[in-house]
Amino acid sequence: MTSLISARNVSKTFGSLRAVDNVSFEIEKGRITGLIGPNGAGKTTLLKAVLGLTDCQGSLSVLGLDPFKQRKELMQNICFIADVAVLPRWIRVSQLLDFVESVHPRFSRSKARELLSKTKIPGQAKIKELSKGMVTQLHLSIITAIDAKLLVLDEPTLGLDIIFRKEFYSNVLNDYFDQERTILITTHQVEEIENLLTDVMFINDGRLVLNSPMDQLPERYVELQATGDNAELARKLNPIHERDMFGKKIMTFEGVGRDRLKALGEVRTPAIADLFVAKVKGATT
Amino acid sequence: MISTQVALLKRELWEHRAIYVTPLVIALVIAVMSVTGQVAISAFDQVVDLAILGASNLGEAERKHAITVLMISVSVLFVFAMWILTIFYTLDCLYAERKDKSILFWRSMPVTDAETVISKLITSLLVIPLVTFVVLAITQIVVLTISSIWVSIRGADAGHLIWAAAPLTENWTATLIFLLALPLWLSPFIGWFLLVSAYTKRSALLVGFLPIILLPMFEKMLVGTKMFSTAIFVRSGQMPLFHGLDTFGLWDDNSEQLNALGRSGLSLLSMIDLGGFLTSPGLWLGLLVCGLFTTAAIYVRRFRDES
Repeated sequence: MTSLISARNVSKTFGSLRAVDNVSFEIEKGRITGLIGPNGAGKTTLLKAVLGLTDCQGSLSVLGLDPFKQRKELMQNICFIADVAVLPRWIRVSQLLDFVESVHPRFSRSKARELLSKTKIPGQAKIKELSKGMVTQLHLSIITAIDAKLLVLDEPTLGLDIIFRKEFYSNVLNDYFDQERTILITTHQVEEIENLLTDVMFINDGRLVLNSPMDQLPERYVELQATGDNAELARKLNPIHERDMFGKKIMTFEGVGRDRLKALGEVRTPAIADLFVAKVKGATT
Repeated sequence: MISTQVALLKRELWEHRAIYVTPLVIALVIAVMSVTGQVAISAFDQVVDLAILGASNLGEAERKHAITVLMISVSVLFVFAMWILTIFYTLDCLYAERKDKSILFWRSMPVTDAETVISKLITSLLVIPLVTFVVLAITQIVVLTISSIWVSIRGADAGHLIWAAAPLTENWTATLIFLLALPLWLSPFIGWFLLVSAYTKRSALLVGFLPIILLPMFEKMLVGTKMFSTAIFVRSGQMPLFHGLDTFGLWDDNSEQLNALGRSGLSLLSMIDLGGFLTSPGLWLGLLVCGLFTTAAIYVRRFRDES
């Protein structure tokens, strides 16, 4: 496997604040990695470092390039959507296509046209005349028409309704993604991307608190629903998090055998959102 | 590389429509004024007919002089508008993209910050003067045509009176040189405004002009010298393109310089001293200052974190 992104001891400080604190990870080709963290956890800063928009300490290599020093070369192979508001409001759709076609050697106008023909976006409309959902559709169509190796999405569906959000991710999967392409995505709406991801990373206070392929999560993490004495017994196995639900204790365990817990109650693999709360709260309490 | 720069320049024209709308509005105002002015003057029938008769009897040099004055009067408005437009454009061009956060989109394209900032410098130094020149030249043709129609209606020979005497090529060459030289001469201001535009978080106009006004004042009060005021105000007034002509002096009544201009027969091209301009240390020093400010603007755009 080839590492597309390789980060070793990456840190970024703003004054006394360590926005990213000694983070190390590898992302391989053909993976869809979710970077999940609360507000102010350092997600966007880390993405900016990956995109060469900010410098950082440590060693960071993206597609074999130093992102900050070789941003232009990097941008020929990376696309990103920062959030729905970034397309300039004064530009026309046709002008936007003209511009990208002129500056991006990997952009296919015919593919963009084909993708846009499936939408209701008029070619002569200005961005400010389009709805938020349409702007995102347009941005994604342009990016999908670029033959790039890495797609970085930072809260791409912020402010969109559920229909557009579902459609967005289905388009990402159907039109963009293949085994040659890689996606790094951050979002608050974890549930919506859970089934898309091949890998997940949790970040909190600038530090990675989890970095795992999705298919290894069931081996490492188990959620147990227990009551009464069983809950007491389970607590001795050091759950990383515990919460109450309808009189039952819901406990999340890391590295405790599923068979061992089965005897104490109902077990299942925790949902990403629950695991996130367990890891982040567990890390802080 | 060149196609990227062309695309970036196109972007400036799409984004800042004032670059061509401003001269077009001025052209319209001048054309309307020209028509209404001539209709109004027509009320003084006899005087006008006498004037046209007088003009028909003038020598070629005098007629050329008169047409040149008419062409200059059209140009003056455009020159003022061009410089005001350049100030507003340079203060806005790197500020607007940060304000609406579209900078994140522009920076997601394979274009360096240097290429982007340079496209804005080229727009100020080249695109705005060229667009202004094209609209200005067309306006002059329109004004001369309106005048021709008017004198023809009154029975005079417009071909002889106006077109034969209009030194179009000469005046246009001189005007184009002036329009291109002006932003080069004022380039330290352009560079400074670009830096302010890349740097400031609010009110680019205020941040751009305050130091220009305050620095010379503080320098005079605290140190007692006039280095900044000389650098700023002499540059605004004394462009070495006109054989040592002091443009401030033109505002004085009975100016020797104006008389000298009259004596030269008002040949615009002969007034211009391109060699003197291109070899003046002030021009190159100014370009150096502009280069330093522009480099700083590139670094600010590159290193600034917009989150």
